[in-house]
Amino acid sequence: MKKINKLLTTFAATSVAATMAMANPSITAVKVDDSIDLSKVSNDDKVWSKAKKADVVLYPQTTIKMNDKNANEVNANNAAKEAKILAIYNKNDVAFKIEWKDKTENKTDAKSSSTDYADGFAVQMPTNFADPKKLPYIGMGSEGRPVLVHLQKAVSSHYEPNGNKDVSLQVNRHQTNAFEKDLAAFDKSVSDVAISDYQRAYISEGFRSMTQIRGKDIAFNMNMSYNIGTWSATMSKSLKDGYLDLTSSGAFPVAFAVWDGAKLGRDGIKNLSTWVAVDFDGKKGNEALVTELTKKPEGDAKAGKASVDAMCASCHSYADKVAAMPTMAPNLSNIGGYSTEAYLAESIKDPSAVVVPGYNRNAHKNTAWYTVDAKGNRASTMPPMMSDDKQIADAVAYLMTLKAEVK
Amino acid sequence: MSKRQLAMVMDLNKCIGCQTCTVACKTQWTNRNGREYMYWNNVETYPGDGYPKKWMELGGGFDAAGDLQDGVIPNIEADYGVPWDYNYESLAATNVLGKDADKDGYSLKGAETPGLHPTTEPTWGPNWDEDEGAGNFPSDNYFFYLPRICNHCTNPGCLSACPRDAIFKRDEDGVVLVDLDRCQGYRYCIAGCPYKKIYFNPKISKSEKCILCFPRVEAGLPPACAQQCVGRIRFVGFLDDEESQVYKLVKKHKVALPLRSDYGTQPNIYYIPPTESPAKFDAEGKIIEGSTRVPMEELEALFGKEVHEVVKKLKAEQAKRKETGESEILDLLIAFHHSEMFRLDNNYYQEVAKAKGETPLAPIDTRYIKGKNTKVVFGGGHH
Repeated sequence: MKKINKLLTTFAATSVAATMAMANPSITAVKVDDSIDLSKVSNDDKVWSKAKKADVVLYPQTTIKMNDKNANEVNANNAAKEAKILAIYNKNDVAFKIEWKDKTENKTDAKSSSTDYADGFAVQMPTNFADPKKLPYIGMGSEGRPVLVHLQKAVSSHYEPNGNKDVSLQVNRHQTNAFEKDLAAFDKSVSDVAISDYQRAYISEGFRSMTQIRGKDIAFNMNMSYNIGTWSATMSKSLKDGYLDLTSSGAFPVAFAVWDGAKLGRDGIKNLSTWVAVDFDGKKGNEALVTELTKKPEGDAKAGKASVDAMCASCHSYADKVAAMPTMAPNLSNIGGYSTEAYLAESIKDPSAVVVPGYNRNAHKNTAWYTVDAKGNRASTMPPMMSDDKQIADAVAYLMTLKAEVK
Repeated sequence: MSKRQLAMVMDLNKCIGCQTCTVACKTQWTNRNGREYMYWNNVETYPGDGYPKKWMELGGGFDAAGDLQDGVIPNIEADYGVPWDYNYESLAATNVLGKDADKDGYSLKGAETPGLHPTTEPTWGPNWDEDEGAGNFPSDNYFFYLPRICNHCTNPGCLSACPRDAIFKRDEDGVVLVDLDRCQGYRYCIAGCPYKKIYFNPKISKSEKCILCFPRVEAGLPPACAQQCVGRIRFVGFLDDEESQVYKLVKKHKVALPLRSDYGTQPNIYYIPPTESPAKFDAEGKIIEGSTRVPMEELEALFGKEVHEVVKKLKAEQAKRKETGESEILDLLIAFHHSEMFRLDNNYYQEVAKAKGETPLAPIDTRYIKGKNTKVVFGGGHH
């Protein structure tokens, strides 16, 4: 037992060190043969052996707390998770393989209860990343900076309203006047129209605006499989679709999120990464993006802590600073985990540069995070806090240290 | 806040708990497609744990400062109760004589208990504690029926809780609806609704709720629960329509009160509190003159402090009727003509639809249809 404990301690210590050292990894997408159809790539495909592994840390989303009492209790002290990411591409598609640890497999289906939630994962990409300092807000984009989100959940069957005129299959089985064989046939017809793959694409400019893309102008494929404590998942998409064109890019940003059904995870109750640069091996371009997303903070975190404690803690909660009213402002406990430096610097200098329309002003109207003028423009209720570049850089360096550890 | 608000008044003195409203709603909307366990309309016995179980203790709604409160999402099996079935099919093949028969060479099928029994052991249901009430029989026991539908609140907890803008309140009548196209099945709405009148449909993995029968209402018909009510307890009309009986009861005479308005959602279903209950008996079984079985504290907890005034007013009105034969309030509550209880302003919806260029009104939140980043929202076999 002692030995195990010691091992665990060593393991924890190394992972903390790893988190610190590898705070800004990049992913190399390895070129594979154009003849391989990546749109159909599976978890155990041999093609993955060519890929290079990158470790990306997924931090618990703590910016906004939702109103599910039980979920808030079980997610109060979440640790960060490490995900192993592989990426490959060819002239048609790009594909990711994501592996993360999860003690339990949580699947749901049409007979699940109201308190069951499915595990899942998502891959997010900005539709425009020309300016690496102005990437969309990590939490599903922001106004004028849309993101494309691909979501897969472990939902083995669900039904959606459709135009297929199968209303007769929606009736309760007890109202079918069918018995035995006929009833079994009815049940089979019903299960045949179920959607067995809960795979969706969304376009979003801030999480409140997230809208499902239902058209055919987006081609992607996702799957996930569970094996003894680990989810393996793949996502492949066409390099060019109606929303995003990666054909002429040398690199692009991506973010990952995973949900744990055992922790009642859905929506914001998840672990997510910051923007991570994906470098197309053998393709030139977007070097500035890779540099921006992999550099280490230059500021003095110690000096930054002093100014953050003095200027931010009365509204924001983070680390041991919990005096602020919880609904007053975004919680910064994991802000360093899933934010880019550029975003933090921009938001300190000009809080209204990115105002996510996600926070529900109706839920906490006394502490609205933004105001809306007659034209619908949102202005943050946070005043610009710092203007000195050195001071901002120091504050950002400190904020980048605010994150949960991998356990 | 919507431009107009459709509201309902329910007279609790007249509710006989026959559940005709429940059945009217169920057969119209919830007997299929994953909604089997839902009761958009239910009639519970008060005092009682209600449906879902102990819904008043599950949080949601707003505090005095106007902050949305955390809530609990009830479990379908434990807190709502599943509509169970019986083991008819295996019954024929099961030895009904019981375990002893085993010795005589009859085989029992699996571990199944012989005889007819539910396929799932029920532990709760929408009428689990019907007619139980409180107090001691026969001296002071009491209960009354409390029919409940979605309150189509002016400040809905469900809407406030939704991070996807999937719940909206119609401008034309204040009906609160779920846009199933936007709903992602997160269920924060269920935690946010203090009345627990929004439900998760596991089959479609989205939330659903009472729609105040808007397709009927738009065609000039009252909601099914109101139309079918044999006790004529339900009035339906717009709160700003001075001709409507709803307006007269709520605004003019102020004898109808919302349920648990302390939740801060500004509910739009109003109740005439129960004023009529028998007197209590003393130890010898004799009537205690002037006593009443339903405690005023209970009514105050449900309908607020105003209930004292309302009960006084209704009693005074009864006395006035006895003396003078006149009382507009009692004329309204007697409901001589069922059709007069509903005033839906028939052409109103047609005018609204015309103004919007729609026939009939679209049951979806149209704000996102033309989202500038959404190239195709409806396509690919959808809708």
